Amino acid sequence: MNLKSLSWRLLCAVLAAGAVLGVDLAQRPLAPAAAGAVGPVVPPSFSVDHLVQAGRGAIPMPADAPAAHASTLLPMPASHPAALTVFWFSGERESGPNVQIAASQWDRATQQWAPARFVANRHVLGAVLGFGVRRLGNPVAWMDGSGRIHLFVVATGWGGWAASRILHLRQSSAGNGLQELAFAPVRVLPLSWLWNTSHLVRNAPLPLADGGMVLPVHFELGIKYPVALRFDSRGEFLGMARISRRHYALQPTLLAKTRTEWLALMRDARPDGKVIAARTQDGGRSWSDLPDLALVNPDSAVGGMALAPGHMLLAHNSSPASRAWLDLSRSADGVAWTPVHALEHGATDDDEFSYPAMAWADGSVWLSYTVDRQRLAWQRFSVDAAANAAAPNGVKP
Amino acid sequence: MNLESMAWLVQWVSVDSPVLPGPWAMQWWLHLGWSVVLAWGFAALGQAWPPRVRWAGAGLVALWCWVPGLYSPTHWLGMAFQAPSISSVVLCAWLLRESLQPSRRVLLLPSSVDRSTLALAVLGSIAGWALLLDSFALLPMSLYAWGFSPIAPALVLLVAGLPWVLECRDGALDTKAWVAPVAVLVFVALRLPTGNAWDAVLDPWLWLLLQGYVVRAAFRRTSRLKSVH
Repeated sequence: MNLKSLSWRLLCAVLAAGAVLGVDLAQRPLAPAAAGAVGPVVPPSFSVDHLVQAGRGAIPMPADAPAAHASTLLPMPASHPAALTVFWFSGERESGPNVQIAASQWDRATQQWAPARFVANRHVLGAVLGFGVRRLGNPVAWMDGSGRIHLFVVATGWGGWAASRILHLRQSSAGNGLQELAFAPVRVLPLSWLWNTSHLVRNAPLPLADGGMVLPVHFELGIKYPVALRFDSRGEFLGMARISRRHYALQPTLLAKTRTEWLALMRDARPDGKVIAARTQDGGRSWSDLPDLALVNPDSAVGGMALAPGHMLLAHNSSPASRAWLDLSRSADGVAWTPVHALEHGATDDDEFSYPAMAWADGSVWLSYTVDRQRLAWQRFSVDAAANAAAPNGVKP
Repeated sequence: MNLESMAWLVQWVSVDSPVLPGPWAMQWWLHLGWSVVLAWGFAALGQAWPPRVRWAGAGLVALWCWVPGLYSPTHWLGMAFQAPSISSVVLCAWLLRESLQPSRRVLLLPSSVDRSTLALAVLGSIAGWALLLDSFALLPMSLYAWGFSPIAPALVLLVAGLPWVLECRDGALDTKAWVAPVAVLVFVALRLPTGNAWDAVLDPWLWLLLQGYVVRAAFRRTSRLKSVH
């Protein structure tokens, strides 16, 4: 064997590459099965046409926190004292140094929100990570197969929101009652080569039949594009897929039409924008752009969910140049939308009702949203049982 | 090609079962990586100083990076740039070792350009441009996501090993040409710094450095050709 000959060296290089491939493959779990979405468990005769408002109000804010924004709702298990946990970011001002992640829970016994408390602080997270976190924002919550809550939050480095990364936190407390709820960092999600900037998270994940989920996120450094991230039932990162080729679509919200056919509805960063749509028919492996929806979008976040086949809801700002109007619309196909409730119609364009979040819990649709970037409001819609039973277009078993 | 062999191929290029490093490993690498890079930086800046001062200074800078909290450079560098790539750390470790030798003066951009190192620098520059375009979704496919596939480190090793294969008759290979293969081997063992092969072999700072190396080599070659004619 002459190691100075070209053929021997080439053979050695190929063998070394083969060995690396073998070692790499040996470390990996089997590739996951194709993703299939699951929806919330709704009554068999459910119809979005028969939703009636069952309550509304303000979510209590933490003390000395005059700014609040970007709430997310997490349905809790039926055995838990709370029906919902809401997370948001709050502090002196948006993107301020003292902004923390706040939380409250809707108590089933008292039918009230518990006093809010902070559950994540950038200094504490930075100490565990070993590097600084400049600002926190946009929490999104998910519960894994073991009942642990995961939070995905925007954590900025040097620069503003465009220099953000997505920090994955996992519940570190034994229980998930509000008073004991605590989180520890898992990792900053590896999403980009460019110093891992500038991905942000905003909307709720789409639950999967295997106990995992698909988390919609977006990139926004100049160009804006949406991405879907897949996680397994333990919250381990499985991969990423671009949702749209458009460079002005952000903050996707995912709605499942069937197990494998999903829609992504997105905020439009263009002036005079419409709600942007994309579709996958293979459980998120590949996506294709759809024509814009007829709904106007004043560069503002939308929040939606599919409650049952043919029954989708979308909360969106319907005023063309401001966030003063927030409406709830329904759709059977995700393309044609009809307003069903005016959630908020501000008196002037200076009023802001924005960043809606939606969840199904205790037989109701719950919504939370930001009011004037200062506080959060909530609304609850329950099914009108009499109308639903008589309706011909309900989802019959 | 039968279905069974196709299944193997699909598994090799699959990007949906990545292996990521644990939190403790990432934090350990963050501190180690920046301590090596900054220690080399100190030694490179102080080449006129006595070796004993350089040794002591580089050691203190390296230790400083392990201080927890706001008073550590790691806190701020990690906030801005996350962790350096394995290639950067291996390169800086080698340069640090060389620069701390008595009577050795090692330049990051040396006057003589090794052919194999230049070839790898050109490839690294091209890969960096492709990854930059991919970061802005300007490529038709997701190149960064491909770095999570099992085949990515194997192919990078194969390409990075080509200088060794092709230099078989010349004998000695520039030490810097071993940086990328070593980085791939460390990556496959430890999955650092992120679990993505691209982050292991090339970071944006290293990419900028490689471009400087390539531009300088091209400039020197042009100047030499002009002087010949």
